[in-house]
Amino acid sequence: MSEPILELRDLRVSITEHPDIQIVKGVDLTIRPGEVHALMGPNGSGKSTLANAVAGSPAYKLDSGQILFKGEDVTAMTADARARMGMFLSFQYPTAIPGVTMVNFLREALKARRGQEMPAREFLGELRETLGTLKMDESFARRYVNDGFSGGEKKRAEILQLGMLKPDLAILDETDSGLDVDALRTVAEGVNALRTPHIGILIITHYQRILNYITPEVVHVLVEGRIARSGGAELALEIEENGYDPILRELGAVEEVVS
Amino acid sequence: MAETTTQTAAVPAPYAEDAVTAAAERRGEPAWLVERRREAARAFAATPMPTPALRPWKYTDVTALDIGGFAPVGQSPTTVQGTPPAGGFAGSLADALADAAHAEQVRQHLGTLVPATEGKFTAANQALWTGGAYVYVPRGQAFEQPVVVTLDVPAGDAGAVFPRLLLVAEAQGEVNVVLRNTSGDAPLLAPGVFEIFAGPDAKVRVLVDGRWGDATQEFTTIRSRLDRSADVLVASLALGGRVVKQTTEALLEGDGANSTIRGVALGDGEQHFDFVTLQDHSGEHTTSDVAIKSALAGASKSIYYGITRVGETAAGAEANQENRNLLLSGRAKADSDPVLEILTSQVIRCGHAATVGPVDQEALFYLQSRGLSSRQALQLMVAGFFRTVLAGIPLEGLEEDVSAVVVEKLATAEL
Ligand SMILES: Nc1ncnc2c1ncn2[C@@H]1O[C@H](COP(=O)(O)OP(=O)(O)OP(=O)(O)O)[C@@H](O)[C@H]1O
Ligand SMILES: [Mg+2]
Repeated sequence: MSEPILELRDLRVSITEHPDIQIVKGVDLTIRPGEVHALMGPNGSGKSTLANAVAGSPAYKLDSGQILFKGEDVTAMTADARARMGMFLSFQYPTAIPGVTMVNFLREALKARRGQEMPAREFLGELRETLGTLKMDESFARRYVNDGFSGGEKKRAEILQLGMLKPDLAILDETDSGLDVDALRTVAEGVNALRTPHIGILIITHYQRILNYITPEVVHVLVEGRIARSGGAELALEIEENGYDPILRELGAVEEVVS
Repeated sequence: MAETTTQTAAVPAPYAEDAVTAAAERRGEPAWLVERRREAARAFAATPMPTPALRPWKYTDVTALDIGGFAPVGQSPTTVQGTPPAGGFAGSLADALADAAHAEQVRQHLGTLVPATEGKFTAANQALWTGGAYVYVPRGQAFEQPVVVTLDVPAGDAGAVFPRLLLVAEAQGEVNVVLRNTSGDAPLLAPGVFEIFAGPDAKVRVLVDGRWGDATQEFTTIRSRLDRSADVLVASLALGGRVVKQTTEALLEGDGANSTIRGVALGDGEQHFDFVTLQDHSGEHTTSDVAIKSALAGASKSIYYGITRVGETAAGAEANQENRNLLLSGRAKADSDPVLEILTSQVIRCGHAATVGPVDQEALFYLQSRGLSSRQALQLMVAGFFRTVLAGIPLEGLEEDVSAVVVEKLATAEL
């Protein structure tokens, strides 16, 4: 079997400003090339914390564990080094950067990712094409990054970056939230267009509907910082149907037995 | 017992009344100007250096600065480029004085808005300026292209230069002026005086593009007087220099006048910026907007002290003040103090905002998560931070130009 794109080994994460609060309490996860994994779980269970820690956010602190990306231990690497290696996080709440236009930002990001400047014409061609597939107006590129974007526009802008940067690992943190039906389809198609036998995708979501477009190989459920259950695509359907209660109850039962 | 002696502080030669007078006469200046130079020299001798006890000088202590130690560099290396409309003028003050069609206007305005007597640096300027620029816009006329005033002090030239601008725009006149200042790394003192007269409905844009060398100390007073519905923008780029202190004032006298003041400072090393602004509203329904932003690396500093004054007669005035400081290193410092002086009971609208702090960490991570190193991310963020105040300054390529300076300077700055 080919080498995993992402491998998390017993990852434990706390908040840098509150090192005493551990949010992710030992997660193991392996995503192989070509695989789509879904990560579900109740609000506050630590999904975004996990995603941000994998991406290298300094707001989170690794208490222990290892992050392997394409076989390389990136645990000690900065966020930008991970990104240049091909890691991409689509943010749940993308930050506005006033004064920095999308086009300038994308140019710099692409330059960093490829290690060299791209000819202007080629860059603009690619930008236009990607905007087109996402049904985004070209004027979008001249706006300041996420500044005054609607919720849906922010999510599209994340996928625009994903499409331009062509990463090897894409973590989509609730990219489907706040999208109308048509936008959801457009975004899902944008993601599917990137699927190759080499890319690994982790979709963090609360809803089954995006998984109708992008079928996951594995669905994980995070509860209180631990993966409580993993299963096939049908697990997402089950959750959609019954909520997290059955899983929580089962956990409670297990804990009761232990104590 | 020690002997008691009376001592008057000696004024060094180039700044002394006799020397000032002799130099003015040597340049063949008209009698009235020689007389004003003489008055300025006397004011210089009589005026003490400002001390930190004076609020605008609280954080810029010049008590140890010996102005007399900076001899004028000779004829100031200034050039003025511009094509005036019929009856207009863009050139040196000396040429304007030699031109019968313009000499009288100059006499009537020069030194009347910023009197030599008001301070040590303005007195020094009035006594010794050479190579000043004069821009005149006749009624209803417009300059098609910006007037460019370049003061380019050759590398190695130490001493003092005295930047001077007199701008007179008659009713409905329109002009954009760019003042470019550069110098080498030799110690240089640059006390500047810019006077701007904007007639009714005149539209004036002045950009001071300061790219001094590392050992230049600038002390400039920029004052504009706005007649009815005049619209004046004064923007300053403080991208170089050891000390840059600028006092930018707008006297909104005519009803409906509008003033915009913009400033951008990019610091590293020991650079020290000090901006003082005054938006003085006396006309009805006058509007003003100040926005000054600094980004500070190394042990650089930025000080802002701005007053919005709304006089008794300024019914319906609207004023806004904004000062934002990004600290890019742990050693950088900024002090911000916007002040409102409301002397009217009329309905007016005033706002002010001041911030001092590091860059938005979330935005930094966002950019890093796209592959930009923290330095590259800061370069982009600082250029963007400035872009929002540069928008609206009508000079082609300005944003790109400033972005390039940001990228270059932050490539090696201490962060
Ligand atoms: N920077 C932070 N400071 C303080 N608390 C934090 C921080 N980041 C996360 N937390 C806390 O950690 C817990 C997990 O948050 P996280 O955002 O990872 O949850 P989530 O599973 O993504 O939830 P949601 O589904 O609502 O997005 C929450 O209780 C949250 O308040
Ligand atoms: Mg979340």
